[in-house]
Amino acid sequence: MRYRSQAVAYPYFAVALLLFGLQVAFGLLAAAKYLGPDPLLNVLPFDRVKEIHTNLLIVWVLTGFMGASYYLVPEESGAELWSPKLAYIALVVWVLMGLTAVIGYAFGWTEGNKLLEQPFPLKLVIVAVMLMFLANLLLTIRRAGRWTTTEAVLVAGLIFTALLYLPALLTFDNYTVSIFYRWWTVHLWVEGVWEMIQGALLAYLLIRLSGVDREVLEKWLYVIVGLTFISGIIGTAHHYYWVGVPQYWLPIGGFFSALEPLVFLGMAMYAYYAMRRSGLRHPNQLAIHWTIGSAVFSALGAGLLGLAHTWPAVNRWTHGTLITPMHGHAAFFGAYVMIVLAMITYALPGLTGRDETRLEGPVGIWAFWLMVGGMFGMTMAFATAGIAQTYLERIIGLGFLETQHKIQVHFLMLLATGLLFALGVALFLWDFFLGRGRPLPVPATEPRLAETAT
Amino acid sequence: MTKRGTRRFFLGGTLACTVLFVGMTIDSHRQFGRLTHADQITPAVIQGKHVWHRKDCINCHTLLGEGAYYAPDLTKITEHRGTAYLQAFLKDPSKFYTEARDRRLMPNPKLTDAEIDEVIAFLGWVSKIDNQGWPPRPILVSGAAIPGTNVGAPAPHAASNEPSEQGEALFRTSPPGCFSCHSVSPGVNLAGPSLADIGERAGTRVKSPDYHGQATDAAGYIRESILHPSAYLVPGATYSAGGRSFMPDNFGTLLKAEQVDQLVAYLRTLQNSQ
Repeated sequence: MRYRSQAVAYPYFAVALLLFGLQVAFGLLAAAKYLGPDPLLNVLPFDRVKEIHTNLLIVWVLTGFMGASYYLVPEESGAELWSPKLAYIALVVWVLMGLTAVIGYAFGWTEGNKLLEQPFPLKLVIVAVMLMFLANLLLTIRRAGRWTTTEAVLVAGLIFTALLYLPALLTFDNYTVSIFYRWWTVHLWVEGVWEMIQGALLAYLLIRLSGVDREVLEKWLYVIVGLTFISGIIGTAHHYYWVGVPQYWLPIGGFFSALEPLVFLGMAMYAYYAMRRSGLRHPNQLAIHWTIGSAVFSALGAGLLGLAHTWPAVNRWTHGTLITPMHGHAAFFGAYVMIVLAMITYALPGLTGRDETRLEGPVGIWAFWLMVGGMFGMTMAFATAGIAQTYLERIIGLGFLETQHKIQVHFLMLLATGLLFALGVALFLWDFFLGRGRPLPVPATEPRLAETAT
Repeated sequence: MTKRGTRRFFLGGTLACTVLFVGMTIDSHRQFGRLTHADQITPAVIQGKHVWHRKDCINCHTLLGEGAYYAPDLTKITEHRGTAYLQAFLKDPSKFYTEARDRRLMPNPKLTDAEIDEVIAFLGWVSKIDNQGWPPRPILVSGAAIPGTNVGAPAPHAASNEPSEQGEALFRTSPPGCFSCHSVSPGVNLAGPSLADIGERAGTRVKSPDYHGQATDAAGYIRESILHPSAYLVPGATYSAGGRSFMPDNFGTLLKAEQVDQLVAYLRTLQNSQ
């Protein structure tokens, strides 16, 4: 940690991880409801559990992005953060918003619009926090008077994240039109500007961990971000196939969204190249695991499994089946969960004042492999369930309820592998809060300002 | 490529795609009204959309294939179920489905009569949206789309001692295995012809000039077809050759007389459903 104000990242990471734990708990509950019967039917029905599960994901990943940005921007610009106080205030407001939303959902306070369920007043709070956050970063950069390409890509991704939330504030009487603009937020976030953020964080981590030449890596970063938008913007159309838009979205959308895996392939190659070319062996092996893991797992989850059902002729049969959560779980985990956990594990020794080499240890590595293995198993459970559902329900014409009954064994597998995943999350949290993530008292003789990161 | 070149690739590619995307968006707005029958978005439809959102329906169901995957797709529900059924269902779903039998149950949404009518109006409007003909085949809440193939049901048991119900169970049991060659779905010809409306067809066939068998009425014709398959040959090179039906002619010894009666009783119930 080179700058004292980078410490702002720590509480953001702590909040992100607590919400992650809560998200996984609700995920397990949802999986149990798939198995049924459901004793909580009239207390906490499936819709509320699922809504809390997905909203917590969005909130904690964004919290992680914010923490990562507060850590990265001062370092890249070479200056203290403009206002750590503003960052703390923003965090408090953000947490209050998140808790209000979760409690509200549990009691049915919702706008009931998939992934954008936040009631309108809370949406305004989200916008306000985003503005505080962006102002803080931009003023830091302005004061420093310099920035790097990596940082510029990250901040641009964050600015577009805020801008693309604005369509979520609009409502339309025509359901098709409201679907159309809902995807401007949801799709252009996760398959557009969030990939920009992932790419930038990946570039930063690879530069630090592998010591590879910045010029080369940043050149690649432009290629990746370019491919992201070339494929991703018109790729929005894969959400438009069957919702009442003109026919031409199908072939055009099919073509461009079939290009989306190139982005992830590019990232995986970029990570491979960086690690291969550098002779350096960074002591923070855990951060290397999560960094390379993110590049590889997102190539599988977001790239390959997205491609599996993106073509209109295939999607016609798989649309609205469990094939979608197969892709969704693997994609979000690989691209966003893993990159945030990579930033946390990379920043942690600096944030807690520990020796980087001592972060190595069985707990963190176990957490990594349990999460990776558990998520792979969950992905396969959704895949087998989704394929069976597509054939039985969509092609043969068996009813929804009978089909769900026939594919129950896959829900058992979902729950079992979900428990493995949850165990990995529990270990990660334990390590962060009770193990090596606890800050050490700062020795009086050795001011933190003097420390340098590798 | 230099860093400057890759930056140009990024900016140029993004700009070109944004322009195309915005252009398609503007054109879509020109067509939304026609594709969605926007003139039919009545105040009841709009209110129904609010009910749909307020009750968080989308986090269990899908609509136009979008939502959660825990409950059935409702895109065409108003084409599959009548208004009276949907009203009664939304009043109390537990009258129609039980957790014990169906594994999943919808909690009572606690809607007023007006809200129920509004959400039905909304779903009715959605069902007419021109969405490239999706779903390609109907998505059913429960049951099977190909009657007679009986994909979903467990080993058949007759619900009562009624001969026609006993006959239906027998039809789906092997032996005699009638279902393996005959569907009861219109136009679905397996190794043997479809028996979709055999109860009706048998009556007209005994009177037709092509028929030279012994039967004089529908029941007699069906009985004869089971016991002496070659008495009347349905045209088709895969059904018979040289004046002999490909259907086994040993059902007279395989089945008891009362079982034949039960099959006849069942097959007579298969009338043209149109």
